[in-house]
Amino acid sequence: MHITEGFLPPLHAALWTAVSLPFVAVSAYRVNRLMREQPEIKLLLAASGAFAFVISALKLPSVTGSCSHATGTGLGAILFGPSVMALLGTIVLAFQALLLAHGGITTLGANVFSMAIVGPWVAYAVLRSAQSLQAPLALSVFLAAMLGGWATYLMTAGQLALAFPDPTSGIAGSFLKFAGVFAPTQLPLAVIEGLLTVVIVNFLREYSSDELQNLNFLPKTLVSEARP
Amino acid sequence: MRAIDHHAWTNRWRDWHPLEKGLPALGLLMLVLILPPLTTAPLVLAGALLTTVYGAGIPWKTLLSVLAAPVTFLLAGIPFLAISIDFTSGFALTFSPEGFQLALQTVIRALAAMSCLAFLILTMPLTDGVLLLRRIGVPAGIIELILLIYRLIFVFAERALTGRQAQAGRLGYSRLDRSVRSLGLLGGNLFQRALEQARRLETGLMARGYTGELRVLSPPRKLSWRRLAVSIAGVSLIGLASGGLTHGLS
Repeated sequence: MHITEGFLPPLHAALWTAVSLPFVAVSAYRVNRLMREQPEIKLLLAASGAFAFVISALKLPSVTGSCSHATGTGLGAILFGPSVMALLGTIVLAFQALLLAHGGITTLGANVFSMAIVGPWVAYAVLRSAQSLQAPLALSVFLAAMLGGWATYLMTAGQLALAFPDPTSGIAGSFLKFAGVFAPTQLPLAVIEGLLTVVIVNFLREYSSDELQNLNFLPKTLVSEARP
Repeated sequence: MRAIDHHAWTNRWRDWHPLEKGLPALGLLMLVLILPPLTTAPLVLAGALLTTVYGAGIPWKTLLSVLAAPVTFLLAGIPFLAISIDFTSGFALTFSPEGFQLALQTVIRALAAMSCLAFLILTMPLTDGVLLLRRIGVPAGIIELILLIYRLIFVFAERALTGRQAQAGRLGYSRLDRSVRSLGLLGGNLFQRALEQARRLETGLMARGYTGELRVLSPPRKLSWRRLAVSIAGVSLIGLASGGLTHGLS
C-alpha cells in the first residue's frame, strides 16, 4: 500500500525520510562491501531486485475485485534477510514511483519505512521464531509473509494516523479509521501473499536447491533439508 | 510502465541536462508542500501540466493516466479525513468541517505534487536521473546495481507477461485457488530464471575481464544556463504569485 505523492504534510514526509535514512545507509554500506568482496553478488542482487519489481507489478487475484499487488516483502526477507532488503526495497520502491507512478518522491521515506524496513524485519523475526519452535517450513514461511504484510499495513495506517489526527478522538481515532478502510483489501491480500510465498519457496526448494545453496546469505534452515 | 519509459526517452526535451528538468520539478514540489495548498496547488498543477503537454510534447491521454495512478488511494483515504470518530459517548461518526477543509487541501496538494512527479518521470530518462545520484555521493557500486536492475526489469517483465499469457491460455487464472498457484509457479520460475541470468551474465563478463566495475558511455548532456535560468524564473514566478494570492485573500 503506497502512500501517494504529496499526501503527507511536509514535516511528516521529512521526518519519515530521516527515520529511514540510517537503515538504508547501513544497508547500502553492507551491500557495497559485499559486492566488492564478491563481484558476482552484484549481478545476483540486480536480478533479485528486478524480480521483486516485476512480481510486485503483477496483479494479484483479489477477493474484493480491486486491483491489488503483491509486495514481495516477505519473500525478499526470507531469501536475503532484512539487512539487504532495506536497500533493495528502497531501489524497487523508487523504481515503482518513477516507472509506474506508484508512491512518490516525497513519500518515499515513509513507504520505505513501512515496506522495506518494518515488513521485512517482522517477516524475518517470525520466520526465525517459527523455525526455532520447529514449526513446519511451509507454515513458518506462510506466517512470515502474512504477518510481514500485516505489519506493513498497520505501519502505513499508523503513519497516516500520525499525519492526520482526528479532530475529536485524536490519533487513536484516525488510526481506527485508516486501518478500517484499508482492512478489506489488505488483510486478505496478505493471506494470499502468504500462500503465494509458500508456493514460490516450495518450487525453488524442489527445482533450484543448487542455486539456493550458492546464496551464502540464505538462512541455512531453508536449504539444509532440500536435497534428498 | 512502458508508456512512461517510452515518453521519457522520446519526448522533445529528452536531451536536456537532467538538472534542467529535475530542479524545476523538485522546486515546484517543494512549493506545493510548503506554501498553503489551496492557493498554491492550482497554480502548480496548471504550470506542471501545461509545461508537460505544450513544452515537452507529452499527449494529454498519457499524462492523465499517470495522474490517475493514485486515484484509488485518494478515494479510499480522503472521505475519512472529513468524518470524525467520537468515543466519548459510545461510538459516533460525525461530519467535521475542519476535517473537510483538511481533506480538500490534501487532495489538491496530492494532485499538484503528482503532476510535478508526472512531469519529471515523463520527460527525464531514468538513467539520466540515476547519474545525478553520483553527484550527491552515492557509491559507484550502488549506482551500477541500480542501472543493472533497470535493465533487467524489462527483460523479466517480458518473460512474466509471456508466462502469464501461457498460463491464462491453459485456464490457470480461472479460479482464485488456481490463480494463487499459477502466480506462485510463475514467480518461482521467474526467480530461477533470474538466478540463471545472473550466472550467465557473470560468466560472460568474467570472460571479458570483469573485475567488479562496468564501464558505460553516458551520452553528453550539456547544461544550458539559459534554460536553467528560465525554469528557475518560472518556479519563482509561481511561488510569488501564490504568495501574493494567499496574502490578498487573507
